[in-house]
Amino acid sequence: MKFVDEFRDTEKAKSLTKAIHQIALNLAPNLTKPLQIMEFCGGHTHTIFRYGIEQMLPDNIEMVHGPGCPVCVLPMGRVDDCVALAEQPDVIFTTFGDAMRVPGSKKSLLQAKADGADIRMTYSPMDALNIARNNPDKEVIFFGLGFETTMPSSAFTVLQAERENISNFSLFCNHITTVPTIKAVLDSPDMQLDGFLAPGHVAMVTGERPFDFIALDYHKPIVITGFEPLDILHSLWMVLQQIEQGRSVVENQYTRIVQPNGNTPALEAISQVFEIREFFEWRGLGSIDHSGVRMKASYAAYDAEKKFAVPNLKIADPKSCQCGEVVKGVIKPWDCKIFGTKCNPENPMGALMVSSEGACAAYYNNGYHEKETA
Amino acid sequence: MMSENDNSQYLQDLYPFLHNKSKDPEQDEIGLLESVKQKSIASIDTKRVFFADNAQALVNAARAIATVYKNTGRMYAMGNGGSSCDAAHFCVEFQHPVTAGRPALAAMNLLADAAMNSAVSNDVGFQHIFVRQLNAHAQQGDGLVGFSTSGCSDNLMAAYATAKEMDLVTLGFAGGDGGEMKSSGLVDHCLVVDSDSIHRIQETHVACYHIIWDLVHTLLADSRGPVSKENQTGSTL
Repeated sequence: MKFVDEFRDTEKAKSLTKAIHQIALNLAPNLTKPLQIMEFCGGHTHTIFRYGIEQMLPDNIEMVHGPGCPVCVLPMGRVDDCVALAEQPDVIFTTFGDAMRVPGSKKSLLQAKADGADIRMTYSPMDALNIARNNPDKEVIFFGLGFETTMPSSAFTVLQAERENISNFSLFCNHITTVPTIKAVLDSPDMQLDGFLAPGHVAMVTGERPFDFIALDYHKPIVITGFEPLDILHSLWMVLQQIEQGRSVVENQYTRIVQPNGNTPALEAISQVFEIREFFEWRGLGSIDHSGVRMKASYAAYDAEKKFAVPNLKIADPKSCQCGEVVKGVIKPWDCKIFGTKCNPENPMGALMVSSEGACAAYYNNGYHEKETA
Repeated sequence: MMSENDNSQYLQDLYPFLHNKSKDPEQDEIGLLESVKQKSIASIDTKRVFFADNAQALVNAARAIATVYKNTGRMYAMGNGGSSCDAAHFCVEFQHPVTAGRPALAAMNLLADAAMNSAVSNDVGFQHIFVRQLNAHAQQGDGLVGFSTSGCSDNLMAAYATAKEMDLVTLGFAGGDGGEMKSSGLVDHCLVVDSDSIHRIQETHVACYHIIWDLVHTLLADSRGPVSKENQTGSTL
């Protein structure tokens, strides 16, 4: 398949792996600890485990799996809010499928559906808008979830609803942003990271410039990365080259998708519909300034938080979860006290076990249950 | 100089901190006040539920501690991090009673000796720090109290195991589902705050040991020093 097969080529993977090993060998005499490279995005984590990339790397290079899985980092209280909205009379609650299993403090959306709430999975917010068109006697709420990648589709849907004057559609906005979160990780006192693979699909919307501060202010190499196995290996090689040469700049490996200035119509739609929240609570990481968006007052008619009574409860993460330490690279998933026992994909307790793109779920599903098996 | 289509304005809206734009003070204030409201309500609700469900357990725990002191024993307290502060606070309450007429009672914070703790941590392992001190100081009939919001701290559980071997009375303040403190059978009186929030759990623990301290002194009142005959017959005041 065009644009897929050529990025899964075995010989090229071997060649890149060899080059990575050579740089690691060159760097080894000067290292006091393994180099830690964070892939922020859950999509990257998924590829790394699906293709066994971590096992192809030299011992002195560790991948740290970041918090870039929006389903995983959704706080429990927000899931409770979704359930409360979905259980209101005459409401059709629509959501992406991967949000259905996220545990709330009492139940998930899947359990609420089993209890009788009208909850429907959609592939796009436009599908939800279509449901609203076809059900004028119902209130249709779309659960807006995801990073800068999915924000434009939510924004365009609200704008479309406004154009068509569809008044029974609203958005429950839980969109979050990656860049402040990378900064929060960098500001953490126990931060040990040496470089980043930046989320390619976020950069597709935002362009390269929002990542400049990572190189300029924190002096960490960062490479915008695609999602096929060769993309990951190529980007790792680029990061390691920067480290070897003592450079720290933003480089773009995903040039087939990411333009330097991003996607103007998408950014314009985001800017038109959304504004920054002063802070947003992340599961596993706590409250991070400027890391989420809400709908502007001018779109209150399409804002589920304004149209309905949302409990807006703050529910703390389970105490025993160590997701925060995992995403900062301080510990590996198998070091967590409840990994694979109390917390597993069937009954996730921590953020990173919720979605298949979460680091803990990736470790568990791929058989890395303890250090010796890796 | 930026080009016209570099999307600068949109990026400033999305990432104000990258462009030295400070928070909107008005919106920030609204958010902060809402946060105060929600968290204070959660704190009050957590305590209300805990004390409604655990009143008898508190009295039982207080009786156990009073018995330790009646038998001239002493209490040992332990915890990690914020819970170690609760252990220290617990000991101060008993050693330095703030209510007039109440005696000072022996209580030892097992994390207070930095030299001892760093020695055991370095030489043997952190999970042994409390065990070694119990071995050195504790006597049959003394009491051991531990604070752990998860109920699963390894060093506490090791100390409880030692305490049971030495025939000490054991008490625990935990959170969540009580963890191993609840399930192990090593803790005679385990008080569990049913919350996943470390802060709400610890706030409830403070209220809990303040009340227990009060109950212990009430229970010990009869066994305080003898009252002289003249006083028993009443004064002329």
